[in-house]
Parts: sequence; structure tokens; C-alpha cells
Amino acid sequence: MKKMSDLAKKEQKLAYKLLLPTLIILILIAFYPLGQVFYTSFTDKEFASSNETHFVGFDNYKKLLSLNIEELEPILNENGEQKIDPETNEPVYERPIDVLPREPVRYKEFKVFNIFGKRYVLGATDPYFISALGNTLTFTIISVFLETVIGMIIALVVNSNFKGRGAMRAVMLIPWAVITVVSARMWEWMLNSNRTGFFNILLDKFNLADGQIAFLSKDSLQLPSMIAVDVWKTAPFMALLILAGLQLIPENLYEAARIDGAGKVKQFFTITLPLLKPSLAVALIFRTLDALRVFDVFQVLLSSKKYSLASYNYFQLIKSREMGMASSIGVVIFVLIFVFAVSYIRLLGVDQNAN
Amino acid sequence: MQTKIAKIGLKKIGFWLLLAVIIIYLAFPFYWAVNSSLKTQAQLQMTPGTFVPRDPDTMEISVFLGNYKAIFQNGEFLRGIVNSTIVATATTLLALVTGSFAAFALGKLRFRGRKPALYMILAMTMFPQVTVLTGLYAVITTLGLDAIFSMILAYMLFTLPFTTWVLTSFFKDLPKEIMESAQVDGATPFQTFRLILLPLTAPALVTTGLLAFIAAWNEYLFALTFTSIDPEARTIPVAINYFTGVVARQEPFGETMAAAVFVTIPVVLLVLIFQKRIIAGLTSGAVKG
Repeated sequence: MKKMSDLAKKEQKLAYKLLLPTLIILILIAFYPLGQVFYTSFTDKEFASSNETHFVGFDNYKKLLSLNIEELEPILNENGEQKIDPETNEPVYERPIDVLPREPVRYKEFKVFNIFGKRYVLGATDPYFISALGNTLTFTIISVFLETVIGMIIALVVNSNFKGRGAMRAVMLIPWAVITVVSARMWEWMLNSNRTGFFNILLDKFNLADGQIAFLSKDSLQLPSMIAVDVWKTAPFMALLILAGLQLIPENLYEAARIDGAGKVKQFFTITLPLLKPSLAVALIFRTLDALRVFDVFQVLLSSKKYSLASYNYFQLIKSREMGMASSIGVVIFVLIFVFAVSYIRLLGVDQNAN
Repeated sequence: MQTKIAKIGLKKIGFWLLLAVIIIYLAFPFYWAVNSSLKTQAQLQMTPGTFVPRDPDTMEISVFLGNYKAIFQNGEFLRGIVNSTIVATATTLLALVTGSFAAFALGKLRFRGRKPALYMILAMTMFPQVTVLTGLYAVITTLGLDAIFSMILAYMLFTLPFTTWVLTSFFKDLPKEIMESAQVDGATPFQTFRLILLPLTAPALVTTGLLAFIAAWNEYLFALTFTSIDPEARTIPVAINYFTGVVARQEPFGETMAAAVFVTIPVVLLVLIFQKRIIAGLTSGAVKG
């Protein structure tokens, strides 16, 4: 009996020894830096500067997240009617810069919009951050949705029996394995703003556009371009994960359904989709968390034309050298991802299925 | 009868059509990159761009290999390949060694705190790397690490938890009797691990190693940040982003595409050779995770 517990003690000791290197590495690169980031986010620390660092409380977060809405009053002429701009024929309103508060921090114009015939301006103390947040969320929702749909289609096609199925599965891996920066540059050239770019050639051939579309400079086309690149790269990966789930579904379920006279569509909704839920849930979590921290495509293709949260974080650190500010962006990303992960796991019930 | 055959035929045609669309969708960007990499600057500026490299005057097919020659004279690009190889290889080895230690403990040994340790590793696989960017940068500048070593260490953030997690489930699945019989023969647990269990996990090691290698080979955010003060240490993704041609004065898209094609070839080969392993690793990491 005594010997057994000696052995158990030895085993325990060995286990701790074996875990030690992993623990040290994770403390050094994850836990300590994470603590540091949380702490720094409450200071005005600057990178590589001799300025003294002060504790500033929630100032960084306030600066990132403050929003303000003000009404823009119409500007009247001598007769008490609204002035009309003689050049554009548009009615004239106050300028946003005149109405938005300046103290204690200046609000900048983020968006001007009309409700019930009145004009308002949405001001933000850091409009770049607010738009980075909006861009990241829009990017995440649309691209994950499209990837799931396209991935599902690809998976269903590849799951049926045909010659060359193995080769097809290998081909599907390639976009996933290609360096993201490389695929971004490949798409940059395809999206080129004249008829040397593939998409402009195509649109011009079918007379859908003049062949001069600047996909990466035009504000309304920037996000769709990012989504297109990302969907191309990750939909096949999604398809592989879904495919693995599909292959776990027993074939005899479909046979039984066929005997009962259920059509293909009905089979999909009553058998495939419910049984696919666990694999789909995991794939969705992985992809969503990945999309929320998107960096590569935004940094390569848009640089500082339009930010994602991660690329704005990088910009604040490297270009502006605002370590405190960058840290608070990091914390916001952390919280966002944490909230998404927890709610996803709750919503889809992954933890029950995992065991 | 005839309508039924026609219906089946139609379905088949529809299926192959769909398959063709999928293949074109997945492969076309590569084709366009290869096509562009074989064009001269003049051919690249032709409007509309051609689907095969053609001579601007005679419109006959004419292939140009100068872009490939140029990238091999580009010191930055070659250095990028060397740096990437060093970083990705070292990352893989370090992740496999430390990861398999931890995985053996988590999968086969009994000790207090096993459950929390397992949950911590699982939670770490979802850790957002960008959050610690500033903190990690501070750690690295305080320790005075050089860029290459910093990248290797930082890449543990996404390779180590994943490797540990996948290997743990692999160790768990190995029959208990192996360990017991080794113990009876007088082997210490660590000897059992090194001489008996590790060889048995070779397939899982190859799989996780490949995935770690590809992840490290692709990484951009840390590489861009850590090499911002040390351009000599740039890895391929950073080098390709900063690509400036030797020959062309404009954006050297021909050379960029040649570089893109060139660095993609080894990845494609790896994927084609190890596709079954990679798919198994990806799905076991995700489905079990």
C-alpha cells in the first residue's frame, strides 16, 4: 500500500515536471503580457519615449468609445427660409464641427443622417475606432455567413460518390494553406482598378461596368472586397470541417428516409442539418473568433484606408506609438471575442456535445 | 422510362457543372497569378489583360520568365525564405517537444490539477493573439530578444495549446496496458514515454507538426510588428508585402506574382502529400475541441 502511494507521488511529480516548460512559456507569452495589457490600458504610456507614464483611469476607453448625437439646425437666409447652396442645390445645415462638443475631448464627425426630415450628426471621439469596430463586425457576420453557406454547398457536392473525390479534397485544402498575405496580393492584382485587373475585364466584357472600378479605393466596395478574399480562402476549410461531420452521419438513416418517401430537401432539413449541428457549431465558433481578429487582408489591401480592430491596434502601436491606447483596443478585442465565444457555446450547446 | 433516364442524365450534368464551378472558383486566383507571373511589364499593362501571356503586337502566345529570375536576385526575398524556414522549423520543433511532454502528462498520468490544466489548454486554443500584441512587444523589448527568436517564442501562443490538445487526446486513446506492461518490465514512466509511447504517436506528431509549421509559415501580425525595427529578420509574408521590384519602377506585380507562385508551391506539395493527415488533424482538433 505504501509503495503504491509512493509510485503515485512519483507520477504526480513527473507530471508537474513535464508540464513546467509549457507553463513557463504560456506565462511568458500569454498571461504576463495579458496582465500587462490590462494594466497599460489604464495609462498613457507611449512606446519608446522618455515621457513619464501616468495612470489615467478609464480615459483611453472613454476616448475610444464615446459617442454623441447632435441635431444640425438648418441655416436660414434673411427671409427665414432655409439657405440653398447655389452650387449643389442642396439645403444648407450647420456644420458638424460647430455643434459637436469640444470639451473635455473633441468629438469628430462620424456620420450625418436624416430622421423625420431633421438632420443629425453622430460624433465620436475616435471615429476611426468606431468604424474599425463596425467594419470588423460587418466583415465577421457577412463572411462567416457566406463561408458557411458556400462551405456547405461544397461539402455536400464533395460528399457524394464520384471519381476524383480524393483529389477534390486535396484541392480544397490549398486555399487554406496558402499564406494569407500572398492570397491578399493575388486578389489585389485581380481587383486592380483598370482593365488589367481580372474583375474589371470581366465586368467590362459583359458590359456591366466601364472597366475602371477602384475596388480597393471606393469606400462602398472596400468591405465587400475584403469579404470576397476571405470567403475564397476559408470557405473550403469550412467545407472540410462540415465534410468530416457529414461522414459521421450513418447512411442507413437516409435509406430509412427514402423508404418513407422523404425527398432530398426534406432529408437535408430533418437528418443532415440536425445531425450536423455539433460539427457546424464548432466550425462556426472557430471561424467567428478568427474573423473577429482579422488583420492580414485589411493591413495588406487597405493599410490605413480602412481599419479592422486588429489593424487599428497595430497602427496605434507602431505608427502612433500610443501603447496605452493600443492596449485598450486589445482589451476591447479580448472582451468582444470572449462575449462571442461564451454566447456561441451557450447558444449552440457545444459543451454538452463535446463530452 | 425515357423521361426518367433524361431526368437522371440532367441531374448528372447539373452535378458535374456544379463541381466544375467549384473547381474554377477555388483554382482561378492561382491560375491568374501564374498567368501574370509569366508576363513582362508591357504585357501586364495590356488592356484588357489576356488570359494567357500574349505578345502586345502580334497577340501570339509569348511566355516571359524574367520575373522568376528577378526574384532570385532579390536579396530581401531570399532572406525572407531563409528566415521563414528557420522560424517555422524552430517553432514546430519547440511546440512538438514541449507539447508532447505536456500531452503525456495530461493524457496518461494521474496528478492533482489535471482537469483545470486541460481546460486552460483548451481555452488557450481560442486566445486572441492580437490582444497581447502590445504586452508581448513590451516583454520582448525588455528582454532584448532579437526578432527571429521573438517570433519563435510568440508563435508558441497559437501552436503550443493546439499541439498539446491534439496530442493529449491521442495519448488518452493509447491502451493503458502498454504503460502497465512497461512498468512491470521496470521502465520508469519517462522511459515508457520516450521509448514506447512517443514512437506510437509518430503519426499524430507529423500531423500536428505540419499544422504548426503551416501556421507559423503564414503568420503576419507578430512578424510585421517584431521586424519593424529589424528588416533583416523579415519573414516571407512581410517581405512579400514590402515587395519592391529590382527591375520595374512601378508596382512590380509580375514579380510579386512570381514570388507568390514560388512560395505557394512547397505548401501545395506538402498539402498534396500529407492531405489525409492534415484533414484528420484539422478535424480532430476542431471536432473534438
